Amino acid sequence: MYNIFSEIWRISYGDLCFIKRHIPETLISALVGPLLYLLAFAYGMRSGDTEAGVDYVAYAIPGIIAISSMTSGYNATAQKILIQRLFHTSFDELVLCPMHTSSLIFGKTVIGVVRGLLGCIILLGLGMFLTDDLVISIWTIPIFLLSCVTFSLLGVTAGLLAKTGPTLTLFASVVILPMTFLCGTLFSIDALPDIVKQIIWALPLSHSSTAIRSFCLGWDVPWVSIGILLIYLVVFYLMDRYIILKKLY
Amino acid sequence: MVDDIIVAEGLVKRFGKLTAVDHVDVRIRNGEIFGILGPNGAGKTTTVRLLTTMDLPDEGRIFINGLDTSTQFVDARRRIGIIQQQHSLDKDISVRENIIHHALMQGLSLKEGRKRMMELAETMELTDRLDTLVSSLSGGWKKRVSIVCSMIHHPDILFMDEPTTGLDTQSRNLLWKLIRNLNHSGTTIFLTTHYIYEAENLCDRISIIDDGKIIAEGTPKELIEELGNVTLVRTDSDEPQFSYFRTREEAKEAAKDVGGEFSVMIRKTTLEDVFLELTGRTV
Ligand SMILES: Nc1ncnc2c1ncn2[C@@H]1O[C@H](COP(=O)(O)OP(=O)(O)OP(=O)(O)O)[C@@H](O)[C@H]1O
Ligand SMILES: [Mg+2]
Repeated sequence: MYNIFSEIWRISYGDLCFIKRHIPETLISALVGPLLYLLAFAYGMRSGDTEAGVDYVAYAIPGIIAISSMTSGYNATAQKILIQRLFHTSFDELVLCPMHTSSLIFGKTVIGVVRGLLGCIILLGLGMFLTDDLVISIWTIPIFLLSCVTFSLLGVTAGLLAKTGPTLTLFASVVILPMTFLCGTLFSIDALPDIVKQIIWALPLSHSSTAIRSFCLGWDVPWVSIGILLIYLVVFYLMDRYIILKKLY
Repeated sequence: MVDDIIVAEGLVKRFGKLTAVDHVDVRIRNGEIFGILGPNGAGKTTTVRLLTTMDLPDEGRIFINGLDTSTQFVDARRRIGIIQQQHSLDKDISVRENIIHHALMQGLSLKEGRKRMMELAETMELTDRLDTLVSSLSGGWKKRVSIVCSMIHHPDILFMDEPTTGLDTQSRNLLWKLIRNLNHSGTTIFLTTHYIYEAENLCDRISIIDDGKIIAEGTPKELIEELGNVTLVRTDSDEPQFSYFRTREEAKEAAKDVGGEFSVMIRKTTLEDVFLELTGRTV
Protein backbone atom coordinates (compact mmCIF):
# COMPACT_ATOMS: atom_id res chain seq x y z
CA MET A 1 0.00 0.00 0.00
CA TYR A 2 1.49 3.30 -1.00
CA ASN A 3 0.82 6.58 0.67
CA ILE A 4 -1.76 8.17 -1.59
CA PHE A 5 -1.98 11.33 0.51
CA SER A 6 1.74 11.94 0.20
CA GLU A 7 1.54 11.45 -3.56
CA ILE A 8 -1.47 13.74 -3.87
CA TRP A 9 0.44 16.41 -1.99
CA ARG A 10 3.46 15.98 -4.28
CA ILE A 11 1.33 16.27 -7.40
CA SER A 12 -0.63 19.27 -6.16
CA TYR A 13 2.30 21.16 -4.63
CA GLY A 14 2.55 23.55 -7.57
CA ASP A 15 -1.17 24.27 -7.55
CA LEU A 16 -1.11 24.79 -3.77
CA CYS A 17 1.73 27.31 -4.15
CA PHE A 18 -0.40 29.05 -6.74
CA ILE A 19 -3.41 29.23 -4.43
CA LYS A 20 -1.23 30.48 -1.59
CA ARG A 21 0.02 33.32 -3.77
CA HIS A 22 -3.48 34.27 -4.86
CA ILE A 23 -5.71 33.81 -1.84
CA PRO A 24 -7.70 37.05 -2.23
CA GLU A 25 -8.27 36.61 -5.98
CA THR A 26 -9.17 32.95 -5.46
CA LEU A 27 -11.72 33.80 -2.79
CA ILE A 28 -13.27 36.70 -4.63
CA SER A 29 -13.64 34.83 -7.89
CA ALA A 30 -15.06 31.79 -6.09
CA LEU A 31 -17.60 33.88 -4.19
CA VAL A 32 -18.90 36.53 -6.58
CA GLY A 33 -21.16 34.10 -8.45
CA PRO A 34 -22.76 32.49 -5.40
CA LEU A 35 -23.23 35.86 -3.70
CA LEU A 36 -25.06 37.14 -6.76
CA TYR A 37 -27.33 34.10 -6.66
CA LEU A 38 -27.93 34.78 -3.02
CA LEU A 39 -28.91 38.37 -3.67
CA ALA A 40 -30.93 37.75 -6.81
CA PHE A 41 -32.82 34.66 -5.74
CA ALA A 42 -32.88 34.52 -1.99
CA TYR A 43 -33.69 38.20 -1.67
CA GLY A 44 -34.74 39.60 -5.03
CA MET A 45 -37.22 36.84 -5.77
CA ARG A 46 -37.93 35.67 -2.26
CA SER A 47 -41.23 33.93 -2.02
CA GLY A 48 -41.75 33.43 1.66
CA ASP A 49 -41.97 29.89 2.96
CA THR A 50 -41.35 26.96 0.63
CA GLU A 51 -43.42 23.82 0.58
CA ALA A 52 -40.69 22.23 2.65
CA GLY A 53 -41.74 24.48 5.46
CA VAL A 54 -38.58 26.52 5.82
CA ASP A 55 -37.81 30.09 5.02
CA TYR A 56 -36.78 30.51 1.35
CA VAL A 57 -33.40 32.00 2.27
CA ALA A 58 -32.62 28.93 4.36
CA TYR A 59 -33.84 26.76 1.49
CA ALA A 60 -31.79 28.50 -1.19
CA ILE A 61 -28.48 28.84 0.64
CA PRO A 62 -27.65 25.10 0.66
CA GLY A 63 -28.52 25.04 -3.05
CA ILE A 64 -26.16 27.94 -3.66
CA ILE A 65 -23.48 26.13 -1.68
CA ALA A 66 -23.96 23.11 -3.97
CA ILE A 67 -23.68 25.36 -7.03
CA SER A 68 -20.54 26.86 -5.65
CA SER A 69 -18.96 23.45 -5.00
CA MET A 70 -19.71 22.47 -8.56
CA THR A 71 -18.58 25.59 -10.39
CA SER A 72 -15.42 26.13 -8.35
CA GLY A 73 -14.47 22.48 -8.38
CA TYR A 74 -15.17 22.03 -12.03
CA ASN A 75 -13.79 25.29 -13.41
CA ALA A 76 -10.57 25.52 -11.44
CA THR A 77 -9.63 21.92 -12.21
CA ALA A 78 -10.63 21.87 -15.86
CA GLN A 79 -8.93 25.15 -16.70
CA LYS A 80 -5.70 24.28 -14.95
CA ILE A 81 -5.42 20.95 -16.74
CA LEU A 82 -6.25 22.44 -20.12
CA ILE A 83 -3.59 25.10 -19.70
CA GLN A 84 -1.04 22.55 -18.59
CA ARG A 85 -1.84 20.35 -21.53
CA LEU A 86 -2.05 22.88 -24.31
CA PHE A 87 0.06 25.86 -23.40
CA HIS A 88 2.92 24.50 -21.49
CA THR A 89 2.84 20.79 -22.16
CA SER A 90 3.68 20.05 -18.54
CA PHE A 91 0.82 17.61 -18.22
CA ASP A 92 2.77 15.10 -20.30
CA GLU A 93 5.66 15.34 -17.86
CA LEU A 94 3.29 14.93 -14.94
CA VAL A 95 2.06 11.66 -16.38
CA LEU A 96 5.67 10.49 -16.66
CA CYS A 97 6.60 11.05 -13.04
CA PRO A 98 6.78 7.92 -10.90
CA MET A 99 3.41 8.36 -9.17
CA HIS A 100 0.28 6.25 -9.29
CA THR A 101 -2.41 7.25 -11.73
CA SER A 102 -4.93 7.58 -8.90
CA SER A 103 -2.67 10.05 -7.12
CA LEU A 104 -2.33 11.99 -10.32
CA ILE A 105 -6.09 12.21 -10.79
CA PHE A 106 -6.88 13.20 -7.22
CA GLY A 107 -3.80 15.44 -7.09
CA LYS A 108 -5.15 17.44 -9.99
CA THR A 109 -8.51 17.85 -8.24
CA VAL A 110 -6.91 19.54 -5.24
CA ILE A 111 -7.00 23.05 -6.70
CA GLY A 112 -10.73 22.69 -7.39
CA VAL A 113 -11.46 21.07 -4.05
CA VAL A 114 -9.65 23.75 -2.06
CA ARG A 115 -11.40 26.55 -3.90
CA GLY A 116 -14.75 24.80 -3.65
CA LEU A 117 -14.41 24.05 0.06
CA LEU A 118 -13.38 27.60 0.91
CA GLY A 119 -16.39 28.91 -0.98
CA CYS A 120 -18.79 26.46 0.66
CA ILE A 121 -17.59 27.23 4.17
CA ILE A 122 -17.75 30.98 3.71
CA LEU A 123 -21.24 30.75 2.22
CA LEU A 124 -22.45 28.60 5.08
CA GLY A 125 -21.01 31.05 7.60
CA LEU A 126 -22.73 33.91 5.82
CA GLY A 127 -25.95 31.92 5.64
CA MET A 128 -25.93 31.28 9.38
CA PHE A 129 -25.65 34.99 9.86
CA LEU A 130 -28.72 35.55 7.68
CA THR A 131 -31.02 32.85 8.98
CA ASP A 132 -31.33 30.70 12.10
CA ASP A 133 -32.46 27.56 10.29
CA LEU A 134 -29.00 26.44 9.13
CA VAL A 135 -27.04 24.02 11.30
CA ILE A 136 -23.54 22.61 11.37
CA SER A 137 -22.85 18.94 12.04
CA ILE A 138 -19.98 16.50 11.73
CA TRP A 139 -21.39 15.77 8.27
CA THR A 140 -21.03 19.31 7.01
CA ILE A 141 -17.42 19.19 5.85
CA PRO A 142 -17.54 15.59 4.55
CA ILE A 143 -20.58 16.34 2.40
CA PHE A 144 -18.98 19.54 1.04
CA LEU A 145 -15.86 17.51 0.33
CA LEU A 146 -17.79 14.77 -1.45
CA SER A 147 -19.50 17.30 -3.68
CA CYS A 148 -16.30 19.25 -4.46
CA VAL A 149 -14.29 16.10 -5.23
CA THR A 150 -17.00 14.72 -7.51
CA PHE A 151 -17.25 17.87 -9.59
CA SER A 152 -13.49 18.35 -9.65
CA LEU A 153 -13.17 14.84 -11.07
CA LEU A 154 -15.61 15.90 -13.77
CA GLY A 155 -13.36 18.93 -14.27
CA VAL A 156 -10.42 16.57 -14.80
CA THR A 157 -12.41 14.73 -17.48
CA ALA A 158 -13.32 17.95 -19.25
CA GLY A 159 -9.79 19.35 -18.97
CA LEU A 160 -8.38 16.15 -20.46
CA LEU A 161 -10.83 15.83 -23.32
CA ALA A 162 -11.18 19.46 -24.43
CA LYS A 163 -9.12 20.19 -27.52
CA THR A 164 -9.35 23.97 -27.10
CA GLY A 165 -10.48 26.63 -24.63
CA PRO A 166 -13.80 27.19 -26.47
CA THR A 167 -14.63 23.45 -26.20
CA LEU A 168 -14.34 23.79 -22.47
CA THR A 169 -16.55 26.87 -22.44
CA LEU A 170 -19.07 25.01 -24.58
CA PHE A 171 -19.21 22.13 -22.12
CA ALA A 172 -19.63 24.59 -19.27
CA SER A 173 -22.57 26.26 -20.99
CA VAL A 174 -24.41 23.14 -22.07
CA VAL A 175 -23.79 20.99 -19.00
CA ILE A 176 -22.73 23.06 -16.03
CA LEU A 177 -24.93 26.12 -16.48
CA PRO A 178 -28.24 24.25 -16.92
CA MET A 179 -27.47 22.13 -13.87
CA THR A 180 -26.88 25.33 -11.92
CA PHE A 181 -30.46 26.44 -12.39
CA LEU A 182 -32.41 23.24 -12.68
CA CYS A 183 -31.04 20.75 -10.18
CA GLY A 184 -33.18 21.67 -7.22
CA THR A 185 -30.75 24.34 -6.16
CA LEU A 186 -32.98 27.40 -6.10
CA PHE A 187 -36.37 25.74 -6.30
CA SER A 188 -37.62 22.21 -5.76
CA ILE A 189 -37.51 19.95 -8.82
CA ASP A 190 -41.09 18.96 -7.96
CA ALA A 191 -42.09 22.20 -9.68
CA LEU A 192 -40.90 20.81 -13.03
CA PRO A 193 -42.94 18.77 -15.56
CA ASP A 194 -42.69 15.04 -14.82
CA ILE A 195 -40.44 13.95 -17.67
CA VAL A 196 -37.99 16.83 -17.17
CA LYS A 197 -38.05 16.13 -13.49
CA GLN A 198 -36.85 12.59 -13.97
CA ILE A 199 -33.94 13.65 -16.15
CA ILE A 200 -32.96 16.40 -13.75
CA TRP A 201 -33.22 13.99 -10.83
CA ALA A 202 -30.53 11.80 -12.39
CA LEU A 203 -27.96 14.63 -12.58
CA PRO A 204 -25.24 14.86 -9.93
CA LEU A 205 -25.97 18.41 -8.81
CA SER A 206 -29.52 17.39 -7.81
CA HIS A 207 -28.05 14.98 -5.30
CA SER A 208 -25.36 17.33 -4.20
CA SER A 209 -27.96 19.98 -3.41
CA THR A 210 -30.35 17.50 -1.79
CA ALA A 211 -27.60 16.11 0.40
CA ILE A 212 -26.16 19.48 1.37
CA ARG A 213 -29.63 20.84 2.09
CA SER A 214 -30.56 17.88 4.27
CA PHE A 215 -27.48 18.25 6.41
CA CYS A 216 -27.60 22.03 6.58
CA LEU A 217 -31.25 22.04 7.63
CA GLY A 218 -30.90 19.08 9.98
CA TRP A 219 -33.23 16.80 8.00
CA ASP A 220 -32.89 13.00 7.73
CA VAL A 221 -29.64 11.61 6.36
CA PRO A 222 -30.07 11.56 2.54
CA TRP A 223 -28.62 8.11 1.93
CA VAL A 224 -29.88 7.84 -1.63
CA SER A 225 -28.29 11.10 -2.68
CA ILE A 226 -25.03 10.26 -0.96
CA GLY A 227 -25.02 6.88 -2.70
CA ILE A 228 -25.67 8.41 -6.11
CA LEU A 229 -23.01 11.07 -5.59
CA LEU A 230 -20.55 8.33 -4.68
CA ILE A 231 -21.47 6.47 -7.86
CA TYR A 232 -20.83 9.63 -9.89
CA LEU A 233 -17.51 10.05 -8.12
CA VAL A 234 -16.42 6.53 -9.01
CA VAL A 235 -17.61 6.86 -12.60
CA PHE A 236 -15.80 10.17 -13.14
CA TYR A 237 -12.68 8.72 -11.55
CA LEU A 238 -12.76 5.64 -13.76
CA MET A 239 -13.27 7.80 -16.85
CA ASP A 240 -10.24 9.92 -15.92
CA ARG A 241 -8.19 6.84 -15.30
CA TYR A 242 -9.14 5.32 -18.63
CA ILE A 243 -8.36 8.53 -20.52
CA ILE A 244 -4.94 8.83 -18.91
CA LEU A 245 -3.90 5.20 -19.22
CA LYS A 246 -5.00 5.02 -22.84
CA LYS A 247 -3.39 8.40 -23.56
CA LEU A 248 -6.62 9.68 -25.07
CA TYR A 249 -6.02 13.27 -24.00
CA MET B 1 25.21 -0.62 -16.77
CA VAL B 2 24.81 -1.36 -20.45
CA ASP B 3 26.90 0.29 -23.19
CA ASP B 4 23.96 1.69 -25.10
CA ILE B 5 21.75 3.67 -22.77
CA ILE B 6 19.00 4.01 -25.38
CA VAL B 7 18.24 1.46 -28.02
CA ALA B 8 15.25 2.03 -30.27
CA GLU B 9 14.41 -0.24 -33.16
CA GLY B 10 12.04 0.36 -36.02
CA LEU B 11 10.06 3.21 -34.46
CA VAL B 12 6.98 4.24 -36.39
CA LYS B 13 4.51 6.94 -35.42
CA ARG B 14 1.60 7.92 -37.63
CA PHE B 15 -0.82 10.82 -37.32
CA GLY B 16 -3.65 9.88 -39.63
CA LYS B 17 -2.10 9.53 -43.08
CA LEU B 18 1.13 11.27 -42.11
CA THR B 19 3.99 9.08 -40.98
CA ALA B 20 5.82 11.49 -38.69
CA VAL B 21 8.44 8.93 -37.66
CA ASP B 22 9.21 6.27 -40.21
CA HIS B 23 11.20 3.20 -39.09
CA VAL B 24 13.70 5.12 -37.02
CA ASP B 25 16.54 3.30 -35.27
CA VAL B 26 18.43 5.11 -32.55
CA ARG B 27 21.36 3.89 -30.49
CA ILE B 28 22.78 6.22 -27.87
CA ARG B 29 25.96 5.33 -26.05
CA ASN B 30 26.49 5.93 -22.41
CA GLY B 31 28.15 9.27 -21.73
CA GLU B 32 27.90 10.85 -25.15
CA ILE B 33 26.20 13.95 -26.50
CA PHE B 34 23.97 12.68 -29.26
CA GLY B 35 22.17 15.01 -31.62
CA ILE B 36 19.31 14.65 -34.03
CA LEU B 37 19.58 17.21 -36.79
CA GLY B 38 16.67 18.00 -39.05
CA PRO B 39 14.55 20.78 -40.53
CA ASN B 40 11.14 21.92 -39.19
CA GLY B 41 8.59 19.16 -39.27
CA ALA B 42 11.20 16.42 -39.78
CA GLY B 43 9.97 14.45 -36.78
CA LYS B 44 12.43 15.47 -34.08
CA THR B 45 9.89 16.28 -31.38
CA THR B 46 7.87 13.18 -32.21
CA THR B 47 11.02 11.06 -31.86
CA VAL B 48 11.78 12.61 -28.48
CA ARG B 49 8.21 12.04 -27.32
CA LEU B 50 8.45 8.38 -28.29
CA LEU B 51 11.84 7.82 -26.67
CA THR B 52 10.69 9.44 -23.42
CA THR B 53 7.47 7.36 -23.43
CA MET B 54 5.29 10.48 -23.64
CA ASP B 55 3.72 8.97 -26.74
CA LEU B 56 3.35 5.32 -27.64
CA PRO B 57 4.86 4.19 -30.95
CA ASP B 58 2.67 2.45 -33.52
CA GLU B 59 5.53 0.06 -34.19
CA GLY B 60 8.97 -0.60 -32.77
CA ARG B 61 10.61 -1.09 -29.42
CA ILE B 62 12.53 1.12 -27.04
CA PHE B 63 14.98 0.10 -24.33
CA ILE B 64 16.25 2.58 -21.78
CA ASN B 65 19.21 1.23 -19.87
CA GLY B 66 18.15 -2.24 -20.90
CA LEU B 67 14.58 -1.75 -19.64
CA ASP B 68 11.81 -2.39 -22.14
CA THR B 69 9.66 0.75 -22.05
CA SER B 70 6.53 -1.08 -23.08
CA THR B 71 6.57 -3.12 -19.87
CA GLN B 72 9.05 -1.51 -17.45
CA PHE B 73 8.14 2.10 -18.12
CA VAL B 74 8.02 3.17 -14.49
CA ASP B 75 11.63 2.16 -13.86
CA ALA B 76 12.71 3.39 -17.27
CA ARG B 77 11.20 6.81 -16.65
CA ARG B 78 13.21 7.29 -13.48
CA ARG B 79 16.38 7.30 -15.59
CA ILE B 80 15.41 10.17 -17.83
CA GLY B 81 15.08 13.92 -17.61
CA ILE B 82 13.22 15.91 -20.22
CA ILE B 83 13.34 19.47 -21.46
CA GLN B 84 10.64 19.97 -24.02
CA GLN B 85 10.75 22.38 -26.92
CA GLN B 86 8.03 24.50 -25.35
CA HIS B 87 9.01 25.18 -21.78
CA SER B 88 6.77 23.37 -19.36
CA LEU B 89 7.23 25.40 -16.20
CA ASP B 90 4.32 26.74 -14.19
CA LYS B 91 4.71 30.42 -14.96
CA ASP B 92 2.49 31.64 -12.13
CA ILE B 93 4.75 30.39 -9.36
CA SER B 94 8.37 31.10 -8.50
CA VAL B 95 11.49 29.39 -9.74
CA ARG B 96 12.00 27.80 -6.33
CA GLU B 97 8.42 26.49 -6.19
CA ASN B 98 8.75 25.00 -9.66
CA ILE B 99 11.97 23.23 -8.79
CA ILE B 100 10.66 21.87 -5.49
CA HIS B 101 7.50 20.71 -7.22
CA HIS B 102 9.59 18.72 -9.69
CA ALA B 103 11.67 17.26 -6.87
CA LEU B 104 8.53 16.14 -5.03
CA MET B 105 7.02 14.66 -8.15
CA GLN B 106 10.17 12.62 -8.67
CA GLY B 107 9.78 11.20 -5.19
CA LEU B 108 12.48 13.22 -3.40
CA SER B 109 11.83 14.45 0.13
CA LEU B 110 11.53 18.19 0.70
CA LYS B 111 14.95 18.19 2.32
CA GLU B 112 16.63 16.28 -0.48
CA GLY B 113 14.89 18.48 -3.00
CA ARG B 114 16.12 21.67 -1.39
CA LYS B 115 19.67 20.38 -1.18
CA ARG B 116 19.75 19.26 -4.79
CA MET B 117 18.12 22.53 -5.87
CA MET B 118 20.89 24.56 -4.25
CA GLU B 119 23.59 22.44 -5.92
CA LEU B 120 22.06 22.72 -9.35
CA ALA B 121 21.10 26.37 -8.97
CA GLU B 122 24.73 27.06 -8.23
CA THR B 123 25.98 25.40 -11.43
CA MET B 124 23.27 27.11 -13.46
CA GLU B 125 24.01 30.45 -11.77
CA LEU B 126 20.38 30.68 -10.73
CA THR B 127 20.82 31.19 -7.01
CA ASP B 128 19.88 34.87 -7.11
CA ARG B 129 16.69 34.26 -9.04
CA LEU B 130 15.07 31.51 -7.03
CA ASP B 131 12.29 33.75 -5.79
CA THR B 132 11.49 35.31 -9.14
CA LEU B 133 8.20 34.43 -10.81
CA VAL B 134 8.86 32.26 -13.85
CA SER B 135 6.63 34.50 -15.99
CA SER B 136 9.06 37.37 -15.55
CA LEU B 137 12.13 35.45 -16.74
CA SER B 138 13.53 35.67 -20.28
CA GLY B 139 13.82 32.61 -22.51
CA GLY B 140 17.42 31.82 -21.61
CA TRP B 141 16.71 31.89 -17.90
CA LYS B 142 13.64 29.73 -18.30
CA LYS B 143 15.81 27.17 -20.08
CA ARG B 144 18.14 27.10 -17.12
CA VAL B 145 15.25 26.59 -14.72
CA SER B 146 14.02 23.78 -16.95
CA ILE B 147 17.45 22.18 -16.79
CA VAL B 148 17.47 22.29 -13.00
CA CYS B 149 13.95 20.81 -12.88
CA SER B 150 14.81 18.03 -15.28
CA MET B 151 18.08 17.18 -13.51
CA ILE B 152 16.66 17.20 -10.00
CA HIS B 153 16.41 13.40 -9.70
CA HIS B 154 19.90 12.59 -11.05
CA PRO B 155 18.74 11.16 -14.38
CA ASP B 156 21.24 9.14 -16.42
CA ILE B 157 20.13 10.73 -19.62
CA LEU B 158 18.77 14.18 -20.38
CA PHE B 159 16.58 14.78 -23.43
CA MET B 160 16.61 18.32 -24.76
CA ASP B 161 14.32 19.23 -27.64
CA GLU B 162 15.85 22.20 -29.47
CA PRO B 163 17.44 23.65 -26.34
CA THR B 164 18.95 26.70 -28.00
CA THR B 165 16.23 27.71 -30.45
CA GLY B 166 15.18 31.27 -29.79
CA LEU B 167 18.18 32.15 -27.62
CA ASP B 168 20.64 34.92 -28.45
CA THR B 169 24.26 34.05 -29.17
CA GLN B 170 25.43 34.81 -25.67
CA SER B 171 22.79 32.65 -23.97
CA ARG B 172 23.42 29.93 -26.49
CA ASN B 173 27.14 29.85 -25.79
CA LEU B 174 26.48 29.74 -22.10
CA LEU B 175 23.96 26.94 -22.52
CA TRP B 176 26.48 24.97 -24.56
CA LYS B 177 28.97 25.36 -21.76
CA LEU B 178 26.39 24.14 -19.24
CA ILE B 179 25.45 21.19 -21.42
CA ARG B 180 29.12 20.20 -21.74
CA ASN B 181 29.55 20.48 -17.98
CA LEU B 182 26.57 18.23 -17.34
CA ASN B 183 27.97 15.79 -19.85
CA HIS B 184 31.41 15.80 -18.21
CA SER B 185 29.85 15.05 -14.88
CA GLY B 186 28.40 11.88 -16.35
CA THR B 187 24.98 12.68 -17.86
CA THR B 188 24.29 11.37 -21.33
CA ILE B 189 22.71 14.07 -23.47
CA PHE B 190 20.22 13.61 -26.27
CA LEU B 191 19.39 16.81 -28.08
CA THR B 192 17.60 17.83 -31.23
CA THR B 193 18.53 20.84 -33.27
CA HIS B 194 18.09 22.44 -36.63
CA TYR B 195 21.36 24.36 -36.28
CA ILE B 196 24.09 22.60 -38.23
CA TYR B 197 26.73 24.50 -36.32
CA GLU B 198 25.35 23.20 -33.05
CA ALA B 199 25.30 19.62 -34.27
CA GLU B 200 28.84 19.91 -35.55
CA ASN B 201 30.33 21.53 -32.50
CA LEU B 202 28.41 20.21 -29.54
CA CYS B 203 27.57 16.65 -30.47
CA ASP B 204 29.78 13.58 -30.35
CA ARG B 205 27.50 11.77 -32.76
CA ILE B 206 24.53 12.79 -34.83
CA SER B 207 21.70 11.39 -36.86
CA ILE B 208 20.20 13.40 -39.65
CA ILE B 209 16.43 13.11 -39.91
CA ASP B 210 14.29 14.22 -42.80
CA ASP B 211 10.63 13.44 -43.46
CA GLY B 212 10.58 11.08 -40.51
CA LYS B 213 13.49 8.98 -41.75
CA ILE B 214 17.06 8.81 -40.51
CA ILE B 215 19.16 9.43 -43.58
CA ALA B 216 22.65 9.43 -42.07
CA GLU B 217 24.36 8.66 -38.82
CA GLY B 218 27.84 9.04 -37.39
CA THR B 219 30.26 11.55 -35.89
CA PRO B 220 30.24 14.88 -37.72
CA LYS B 221 33.79 14.06 -38.86
CA GLU B 222 32.77 10.68 -40.26
CA LEU B 223 29.84 12.13 -42.13
CA ILE B 224 32.02 14.79 -43.69
CA GLU B 225 34.76 12.29 -44.53
CA GLU B 226 32.28 10.03 -46.17
CA LEU B 227 31.32 12.80 -48.55
CA GLY B 228 34.87 14.09 -49.01
CA ASN B 229 36.80 16.50 -46.82
CA VAL B 230 37.26 19.11 -49.54
CA THR B 231 34.57 20.83 -51.56
CA LEU B 232 34.96 22.38 -54.94
CA VAL B 233 32.33 25.01 -55.72
CA ARG B 234 31.71 26.14 -59.28
CA THR B 235 29.54 29.16 -59.74
CA ASP B 236 28.25 30.87 -62.84
CA SER B 237 25.03 32.88 -63.02
CA ASP B 238 22.97 29.89 -61.89
CA GLU B 239 22.97 27.77 -58.77
CA PRO B 240 26.43 26.84 -57.52
CA GLN B 241 27.55 23.30 -58.19
CA PHE B 242 29.47 21.23 -55.67
CA SER B 243 31.85 18.34 -56.03
CA TYR B 244 33.65 16.61 -53.20
CA PHE B 245 37.17 15.26 -52.87
CA ARG B 246 39.23 13.42 -50.33
CA THR B 247 42.13 15.85 -50.49
CA ARG B 248 42.83 19.41 -51.53
CA GLU B 249 45.20 18.16 -54.23
CA GLU B 250 42.46 16.17 -55.92
CA ALA B 251 40.17 19.17 -55.79
CA LYS B 252 42.85 21.43 -57.30
CA GLU B 253 43.39 18.91 -60.05
CA ALA B 254 39.67 18.91 -60.85
CA ALA B 255 39.53 22.71 -60.72
CA LYS B 256 41.97 22.89 -63.65
CA ASP B 257 39.35 21.38 -65.92
CA VAL B 258 36.65 23.90 -65.01
CA GLY B 259 35.84 26.28 -67.85
CA GLY B 260 36.74 29.99 -67.64
CA GLU B 261 33.09 31.08 -67.43
CA PHE B 262 32.85 29.70 -63.85
CA SER B 263 34.27 31.13 -60.70
CA VAL B 264 35.84 28.41 -58.58
CA MET B 265 36.29 28.02 -54.86
CA ILE B 266 37.94 25.25 -52.88
CA ARG B 267 37.02 24.96 -49.19
CA LYS B 268 36.57 22.52 -46.31
CA THR B 269 33.43 20.41 -46.51
CA THR B 270 30.91 21.18 -43.76
CA LEU B 271 27.99 19.33 -42.30
CA GLU B 272 25.81 21.73 -44.25
CA ASP B 273 27.17 20.20 -47.48
CA VAL B 274 26.41 16.75 -46.16
CA PHE B 275 22.87 17.78 -45.43
CA LEU B 276 22.44 19.44 -48.80
CA GLU B 277 23.79 16.40 -50.61
CA LEU B 278 21.52 14.02 -48.71
CA THR B 279 18.30 15.97 -48.93
CA GLY B 280 18.76 18.27 -51.89
CA ARG B 281 18.17 21.32 -49.73
CA THR B 282 19.52 23.28 -46.82
CA VAL B 283 18.27 22.95 -43.29
N1 LIG C 1 -0.16 15.47 -32.42
C1 LIG C 1 0.01 15.56 -33.75
N2 LIG C 1 -1.04 15.39 -34.58
C2 LIG C 1 -0.88 15.46 -35.92
N3 LIG C 1 0.28 15.69 -36.53
C3 LIG C 1 1.37 15.87 -35.76
C4 LIG C 1 1.29 15.81 -34.33
N4 LIG C 1 2.52 16.02 -33.83
C5 LIG C 1 3.33 16.21 -34.89
N5 LIG C 1 2.64 16.12 -36.04
C6 LIG C 1 3.22 16.22 -37.40
O1 LIG C 1 4.31 15.35 -37.48
C7 LIG C 1 5.38 15.92 -38.22
C8 LIG C 1 6.64 15.94 -37.38
O2 LIG C 1 6.45 16.88 -36.32
P1 LIG C 1 7.53 17.15 -35.22
O3 LIG C 1 6.94 18.08 -34.26
O4 LIG C 1 8.07 15.88 -34.71
O5 LIG C 1 8.66 17.90 -36.06
P2 LIG C 1 9.96 18.64 -35.54
O6 LIG C 1 11.10 18.02 -36.29
O7 LIG C 1 10.03 18.61 -34.08
O8 LIG C 1 9.74 20.11 -36.08
P3 LIG C 1 10.16 21.52 -35.42
O9 LIG C 1 11.57 21.79 -35.83
O10 LIG C 1 9.21 22.47 -36.07
O11 LIG C 1 9.98 21.42 -33.96
C9 LIG C 1 4.90 17.32 -38.63
O12 LIG C 1 4.45 17.24 -39.94
C10 LIG C 1 3.77 17.61 -37.69
O13 LIG C 1 2.82 18.42 -38.30
MG1 LIG D 1 10.04 20.03 -32.62
